[in-house]
Amino acid sequence: MRISYEWLGDFVDLDGVTPKDAAEVLTRLGVEVESMTVVDLSQIVIGKVLEQKPHPKSRNPLWIHQVDLGDHVQQIIAGAPNAVPGSLVPVALPGTTVPNGKVVKDMNIAGFKASGMLCSAEELLLGEDHAGILILDRGKPGDPLTSVIPSQAIMEAEITSNRPDCMGHLGVARELAAGLDRPMKRDFMPAFTGTADPPGRDLVKVSIDDPDLCSRYIGGVIKGVRVGPSPDWMQRRLRACGVRPINNIVDITNYVLLEYAQPLHAFDLARLSGPAIHVRRARANEKLLALDGLVRDLTSDMLVIADALRPVAVAGVIGGEETAVTTATRDILLESANFNGPSVRQTSRALGLRTEASARFERALPPELALAGARRAASLIAELAGGSVHREWADVYPRPQQPVRVNLRPALIDDVLGTHVPLEEAESILKRLNFHVKVMGDGEWDVLPPVFRLDVTIPEDLVEEVGRVYGYDRVPPTLPGRRHERWTPASPSLDRRLDAIREVMAGSGYTETWNPALVPGRKLEALRIAAHAMRVSNPLSDDMDTLRTSLLPSLIEAMTLNRDRGRLEVRIYEIAEAYLARVGERNGAQPEEPLRLAAIASAGETADEGRDAVYRLKSVLDGCVAAMAAPPCAYDRASTELFHPGRCAAVMLDGRQLGYIGELHPTVTAGAGIDGRVVAFEIDVEPVVAASRIPRAQPLPRFPGVQRDLAVIVDETVAAGVLQAAIKELAGDLLEQVRAFDEYRGTQVPDGHKSVAFTLTFRSPERTLTDAEVDKVMSEIKQGLEKRHRARFRE
Amino acid sequence: MNDPSALTADAVEAIGKSQTSAELERIEVEYLGRKSGHVSKLLEGIGRLSADERAVLGKAVNEAKRMIEGALAARRSQLEATRLADLAETEAIDVTFPGRPLERGQIHVLTQVRRQIETVLESLGYQVELGPEVETEWFNFEALNIAAGHPAREMWDSFYFGPGLLLRAHTSPVQIHAMQRIKEPPIYIITPGRCYRRDAPEATRLPYFSQVEGLAVDKGLTVGDMKGTLLFMIQSLYGRERKVRVRPSFFPFTEPSFEFDVSCGICGGMGCKSCRHKGWLEVGGCGMVHPQVLRNGGIDPSQWNGYAWGFGIERMAMLKHDVDDMRLFYESDLRFLEQF
Repeated sequence: MRISYEWLGDFVDLDGVTPKDAAEVLTRLGVEVESMTVVDLSQIVIGKVLEQKPHPKSRNPLWIHQVDLGDHVQQIIAGAPNAVPGSLVPVALPGTTVPNGKVVKDMNIAGFKASGMLCSAEELLLGEDHAGILILDRGKPGDPLTSVIPSQAIMEAEITSNRPDCMGHLGVARELAAGLDRPMKRDFMPAFTGTADPPGRDLVKVSIDDPDLCSRYIGGVIKGVRVGPSPDWMQRRLRACGVRPINNIVDITNYVLLEYAQPLHAFDLARLSGPAIHVRRARANEKLLALDGLVRDLTSDMLVIADALRPVAVAGVIGGEETAVTTATRDILLESANFNGPSVRQTSRALGLRTEASARFERALPPELALAGARRAASLIAELAGGSVHREWADVYPRPQQPVRVNLRPALIDDVLGTHVPLEEAESILKRLNFHVKVMGDGEWDVLPPVFRLDVTIPEDLVEEVGRVYGYDRVPPTLPGRRHERWTPASPSLDRRLDAIREVMAGSGYTETWNPALVPGRKLEALRIAAHAMRVSNPLSDDMDTLRTSLLPSLIEAMTLNRDRGRLEVRIYEIAEAYLARVGERNGAQPEEPLRLAAIASAGETADEGRDAVYRLKSVLDGCVAAMAAPPCAYDRASTELFHPGRCAAVMLDGRQLGYIGELHPTVTAGAGIDGRVVAFEIDVEPVVAASRIPRAQPLPRFPGVQRDLAVIVDETVAAGVLQAAIKELAGDLLEQVRAFDEYRGTQVPDGHKSVAFTLTFRSPERTLTDAEVDKVMSEIKQGLEKRHRARFRE
Repeated sequence: MNDPSALTADAVEAIGKSQTSAELERIEVEYLGRKSGHVSKLLEGIGRLSADERAVLGKAVNEAKRMIEGALAARRSQLEATRLADLAETEAIDVTFPGRPLERGQIHVLTQVRRQIETVLESLGYQVELGPEVETEWFNFEALNIAAGHPAREMWDSFYFGPGLLLRAHTSPVQIHAMQRIKEPPIYIITPGRCYRRDAPEATRLPYFSQVEGLAVDKGLTVGDMKGTLLFMIQSLYGRERKVRVRPSFFPFTEPSFEFDVSCGICGGMGCKSCRHKGWLEVGGCGMVHPQVLRNGGIDPSQWNGYAWGFGIERMAMLKHDVDDMRLFYESDLRFLEQF
């Protein structure tokens, strides 16, 4: 909300309090001033134009003015023609800086001296008008401009949702007064003094269908108003707060809204179908031409103000064009009501229309405010627009605001704050904030919050009130420390345990990424991995409408992005959740959120490069699993979406499938605009963490091992893993390790066959093995392989 | 050549002239070689000599051998000393030549910052608690004292999956889960994790982000304890010259509620461009846990009280590393990620 410093001065004595001081005090009280525009007019003087002549030589149209500055006359050149002789104008003399930042200098324009500048409203930050010079309605030549227009500062403040009272200057001024410990100059207006028609003759009839949605409706009739522009001071304040002046009646309703936080609406009484107001829900197919010029479709969950025939306003949101006040208006119906916050919020969202009024009603205004606001508006209308205010108001108030008393054990203040606040100071603070404090016999305080503070209901709320005025800076920082008799032993967080994986990935040349979990659902569908996808019902856009079921599409996209930006070799990974809707569960069940580890890497162009990259990636994955101190994974030939049909393995841990590894399917890479091969894996990482064991030291071997190589020629279809398992089985206890290290096709190997080379390490824990012993085992292995896999052997 | 002393003199002279260890090797073989070395040859025909002559010759040959060996060793160590002394010239490399690149990946800056935050708070005895990202409305709102229609719900515009189910807007639901699970205070936990709000992506705001919240439930906790904890955390992360201030604010789940600011690291609180002349940078929210929230977590507020705080990991990383656009964290551009 925009707060005018100058306006606050109506209520609090700001003598010696600069705008910066005020902003600081307010921020420390909880009204956060986020930015401030200072409009310092003290350097600007008032001048009277004596003479105006067009510039004879200038190419652009310019006017030369002789301006009376009280004690002398100065020649000033301006580009606008509206400062005709006799006009009172703001003048910035050479050497001054105008509020918009422009520095004024002595100039010579095409042979004519120009000493100073005539200012527009925009240059003085008093409005948007930059076409003409600001013409003043009063003032004495030579006097400072501040004699007619005060210097100003506009604060942009964030009002928390519990303080609708601070959405008006009066409420903010009360905070400031409490913070400065100064009295309020004036608070709620006294009762208006309206005169008028004989009572009861043409009173407005008000009926409210649902008091839960409208707890109060005040309708006041004001007759014989003269609609015209509102006075300059009012227009200036409205503009300062970002509200466009329209006419005196509408301006007054807006002015009171900005002052008291109570939204008001003025209807043209003659344009209503009879002086009856019906607060009801909209009916099927009803529409309203709203003040913003748009026809709004209304639905039955929206509250409207209707006359005998039709809706004339959306309650608490916007009025209707057909009953609006115009220059022809003579009699008005002034509405000051209280509407239910959630209902106004819902309607305003449904209409996509947030107004000054709805922003206030949404936060639940106190119904007591309605009368104060109506009275203030009525007296301003009587004063500024003439008109006679009907003595009697329709005031339908089915849900009167009840006072809420709060009992406070004053020691709670010290207990919660952690510092000692003297009781007198605490009591004085509450009183400054308009709370009534009654000290009871047992020492407890019976506290009655002011009528505009619906947010204070529990003792802790009162502690906050005391604390924020007392000053939280005065509370010394401490660390909690008791003699605990109970504790939870420390254990590393899951994420810290996963750092072991991050170390392996970093050492293998992979960089960690964090990618958005919300992805385009259409993409998951195109990749055929959308079966368990969770769809957002109110997405921001279709680029973020679905929770990802796999990390791989995000990594593929990241690879594309980096390639597009000139990085051809990409190795990246991510550790994050995937989200899988539970099959067979009722709608509305929480999905599974398995934590995944996924990686991808560029893998060259050729089939051989791709194969080698898969094998390297397997080592990376094995390294991650080993780093977690989990047993090694096994790999089974598999096929799945996203992966190359001939180059994909299921990753198995203790018989449980963790995920897949392999080369990406060429259509997947092509679809992502990547030419060349890409290898990837994605696994569930929690089972790996669960399988993690503390490594137990093994005794070092005491006898030397014997190494032998074995090249096995077999049919293409026999997998290295199968041969390896067979070798282990055939070799018996003496075989310590066997590992395939080469695959060969070519001379000496028949078509349809391959040669797989293994390194075998034999060792006995009891003795040094002899060649003869090892030879014997080797020949048993060979015989076995010959028999089982029709293997032959290369020498 | 059969005079041992002349032979020795020749050998010593040759050794003295030698310049390399290879030369010495050759000389050694020439004189001391087992079969055809000059010294061995002196003994040829020793069988024809008398016992006395044999003893004399043997002694002379041994003496020659010892002398030559001594000269060889001396010359060797001399040459080695020279070689070592000359290393600076003979084996100099261009140390300004760039190191050979390693294939080394980076850990994401947000992981690094999250790790730092966890480490600091773990040192105060806080433990990490995790919870689901797709939450029920009750845990995300009602349990935190944010009833349906509450104006404060505006602060957490959320993504829904139909009625009652949504992407959590903060990690606060984990606090409720944790209280319900742990049951008996003291509870000192932190809850890092991803959160979601329906905000269009821009430089300082994203619809997805990461938070860390902290919760302490114990006997007699105070606003002062909360301030001290925040100050400890901030000074540990950013340096002990940093200050923390708490400003009154409003959250339905804390009473009193605050926002907490950290003094600007660039101007030290004097006000500069990077803190928009405020001297302070907004970091997060905090407050004393609302009694109703404790009740919703199954904790008796007449026995226990607590404080809680929360902030964005991205925000902390932006402050620490001068990142000006939050989107960079989630874009996966290696040129950005490799800077940390």
